[in-house]
Amino acid sequence: MSTKILVAVKQVAALDADFEIRADGKDVDADFLIRDLNEWDDFALEEAVKIKEAAAEGEVEVVVVSVGADEADEALRKCLAKGADRAIRVWDDAVAGSDSIAIARVLCAVSQRETPDLVFAGAQSSDHAFASTGIAIAGLLGWPHAAVVNQLTYLPAAKQAGVRRELEGGLLQTMQIDCPAVLTIQLGINTPRYASLRSIKQAAAKPLDTLGLADIGLSATEVGESGSLSRVRRMYIPEKGRAQMIEGSAAEQAAQLAAIIKEYKGEAA
Amino acid sequence: MMIDRHDLTRILFEDFHPLAVTVFYAIGYAAIGMFCWGTWIQIRKYRYGTAHAYTGTLLTRFRAMSASVISHRTIARRDHAAGAAHRLIFFGFALLFLGTSTITLEYDILKPLFGTRFWFGDFYLWFSLILDVAGVMLGLGLLYMMIRRGWIKPPKLNYARPDRVPTDPDYDRSNYRIEDWAFLWSLLLIAVTGFVLEAARLVWLEGRPSVWDYRWWSPMGAAFALIMKTGGMTAEAAGSLRSGLWWFHGLIALGFIALIPFSKVKHIFTASGSLMFRDPLAAQRLPRIPETQVNPGFQYITDLSWKQLLNLDACTKCGRCHEACPARATGAPLSPRDVILSLREFANSALASGTLPDKAELDIHGKSPGQVSMETLWSCRTCMACVEICPVAVEHVPIIVQMRRKLVEAGEMDPLLTKTLQTITKTGNSFGESKRKRGAWTKALPFPVKDARKEPVDVLWFVGDYASFDPRNQTVSQTFAGLLQEAGVDFGLLYDGESNAGNDIRRVGEEGLYEMLATANIDVMQKASFKTIVTTDPHTFNTIRNEYPDFGGAYEIQHYTTLLRDLLQSGALTVKYPLNRRVTFHDPCHLGRFNKGYDAPRDILKLIGCDLIDMKRCKANSFCCGAGGGRIWIPDPVGVEKPAQNRIREAAVIADLEVYVVSCPKDLTMFEDALKTTGNEGKFVVRELIELVREAVGAAPTPVSTPQAAVPA
Repeated sequence: MSTKILVAVKQVAALDADFEIRADGKDVDADFLIRDLNEWDDFALEEAVKIKEAAAEGEVEVVVVSVGADEADEALRKCLAKGADRAIRVWDDAVAGSDSIAIARVLCAVSQRETPDLVFAGAQSSDHAFASTGIAIAGLLGWPHAAVVNQLTYLPAAKQAGVRRELEGGLLQTMQIDCPAVLTIQLGINTPRYASLRSIKQAAAKPLDTLGLADIGLSATEVGESGSLSRVRRMYIPEKGRAQMIEGSAAEQAAQLAAIIKEYKGEAA
Repeated sequence: MMIDRHDLTRILFEDFHPLAVTVFYAIGYAAIGMFCWGTWIQIRKYRYGTAHAYTGTLLTRFRAMSASVISHRTIARRDHAAGAAHRLIFFGFALLFLGTSTITLEYDILKPLFGTRFWFGDFYLWFSLILDVAGVMLGLGLLYMMIRRGWIKPPKLNYARPDRVPTDPDYDRSNYRIEDWAFLWSLLLIAVTGFVLEAARLVWLEGRPSVWDYRWWSPMGAAFALIMKTGGMTAEAAGSLRSGLWWFHGLIALGFIALIPFSKVKHIFTASGSLMFRDPLAAQRLPRIPETQVNPGFQYITDLSWKQLLNLDACTKCGRCHEACPARATGAPLSPRDVILSLREFANSALASGTLPDKAELDIHGKSPGQVSMETLWSCRTCMACVEICPVAVEHVPIIVQMRRKLVEAGEMDPLLTKTLQTITKTGNSFGESKRKRGAWTKALPFPVKDARKEPVDVLWFVGDYASFDPRNQTVSQTFAGLLQEAGVDFGLLYDGESNAGNDIRRVGEEGLYEMLATANIDVMQKASFKTIVTTDPHTFNTIRNEYPDFGGAYEIQHYTTLLRDLLQSGALTVKYPLNRRVTFHDPCHLGRFNKGYDAPRDILKLIGCDLIDMKRCKANSFCCGAGGGRIWIPDPVGVEKPAQNRIREAAVIADLEVYVVSCPKDLTMFEDALKTTGNEGKFVVRELIELVREAVGAAPTPVSTPQAAVPA
């Protein structure tokens, strides 16, 4: 096994219909969340598996890592079903409340333990959308990085990778990057494969290691709220503005509109 | 002059040199040897298949098969002329074969061993009369088949393939045509030379009263003899004609026998075998994947069971499935016939020898000769039209679904289908709606609907995705709920406990997801208390009825049509306003062909006073709406006629048609769309049968002003 790709994935939450905010007002009540593998991470994993499949058997190892509680195993098993060789889940109750930098600290520690040739992460997560975890890993590792990659040329064990990035306004940028490096992957870079329910079940046979903070050499103060640079104060549903269709003939519409304006101004109708 | 009864028989090797007799026997044994060797090659091929479990005993299966073969029930369907001609050929051939065997029985077995003789006297006379009649039957049947192939040329006998283009190496199947004609001509030659030979023998032996005086017991021979004598043929000339023709007739007959296992003639055995192992629920109840099987579905030819390999050889290219297939009829690259023939050609080349080739050469997926492409497999609507009409019990649908299972595992499918499967995995429904919203349509009802998980009910209504989430179908669900309420039926729903029933997921080939859905639904139903299940969705009806028992969920379930019929007949619902409308009815595949529910909807239409004009393709031959087998989640090609449009055009020719009646949520969606896209909007309407019953029973009582919500928190 000469080349290793570490793919950092997240089990994101989507809102169910008629959700409620948690009692402390800082997040959505977990009962109303539908969980799934982050869409960007699906593309990142596919890119890694494609490199593995193009290489000789056993030449490339794909390892997925996620920071999350038990339920994140589901996302990891999906990754294993799609072709990852093994999975790592890191969790400690102290991790709760971490911002993206604290999560990156955990992922950085895992990278130092695994010493991969490349680290892939999704360009962003669909729930929190900071788009910073991947870049923060690079910062903490001191590795070069490329964000929002939508094309990649990489041969196993190569010293460099060729990447194409998506910039604002439809601009593209191509660059060479020294390995090891961290790449954050954009949607559309490939077509992620379907993981059948059977293959997900069978993936239970593949190794999924659960690590605690001590296993990766971090202390509880380095994660969670204490290890974060930002904290959530409040999560809320903004009050909706009122919209109303005014119907009828032009004259009727004008009359109604005038009445509404007068009402707002506090004048009598 | 008295004639000894023992002289009333046919000469066999008279005037033959002993060496000639020996040569004849040698050729005969060689022919039988070749037949046996060829049979072994075929059996060896089938033995490469996987095991096949069948129900019942071989004896009951043999009886059922014999009944089908002797009655010709399956062969005469939808093609009476071909059925009649095949009957003539079959019984003619069978009688001639039995007759010839009788001679062998006496001459080669009973006489040399025990000195027993029976082939003389009255027996012989009747024998020659019956065999002459049999020869005429055979000849007439063959002549019609020749006229059919040569002049009538029904489109279903055209071997052009919809799944290949003319530049493909295996586009042309004209070799089959050579074989078809060789088969007909060789049999006809055997029959005709038999008669001429008989005539020549009569003229040659005209001096023997035991032959000549009884010649009209073989009327065809006697008629030919009359012609010969009128033409001035002498006994001597007839004698030499006889010795030449005797060899010719004998050699083609023996050649025919020798070639049976190598030619289409083998359908005598393969079709019988196929019929014998018919599965009456082949398409309705798909096979589970055994726990021990690592790779799901069919990837290699050796993944097929021996029975399926036998199916491939049973096909006689009669084209009935080709004709009935809705995908083929609307230009999709699929003909069930060509799937079977491709796999047959594949099996014949890959499994021909005593050793298996490399795995790579056994892969049946792809575009090379004999392989089946994914475009072909994804074109199938699993509507069962092919399985239903096949006269020799070829079961196409399970083979196609098994091949799709492999495609699903490899992710080789339309991206939209992939998305839908992911959506269903996540939310339990194909609309991507929240589970909690499943029962939301009941909020608009003026009465609460029970939650069957919380209180016992008589009837559990399994609603299904379309009837729960599709806005147009929600109104039908509300109407049906109103009818049940008025009829005093104690019913309830599973609300957010219900998931997609999985029928179409299973037919897509996503077996793992199907298992998840089926077991989740069964778990919820086990906890609920109810007597029977009703559903408005024929797809749900099929899978709960036929497939859930395999997962430990055996329930009594009916489609709403039988329940509504009962309610109308028992007086629980009364028709106040007979409709007097001219309607046609579309049989949903999963209610009609799959579960033979042809009568209930028609009875209801009668009860509510509709004048039903059936379309030409109805009941078992109903034409699919195009939504089955997961095709509702796969976009149809643009600019090509869709099956639903084809169907609406068929209905549109009915004079003064007012209503096109459906009894399936997906049908309502498909046909209301097709009504618009074919420009028939305004000419007639598409309605759910439930809506017509509502009208006939009279409007529901006015809803109370504040509807009571019945959705669980």
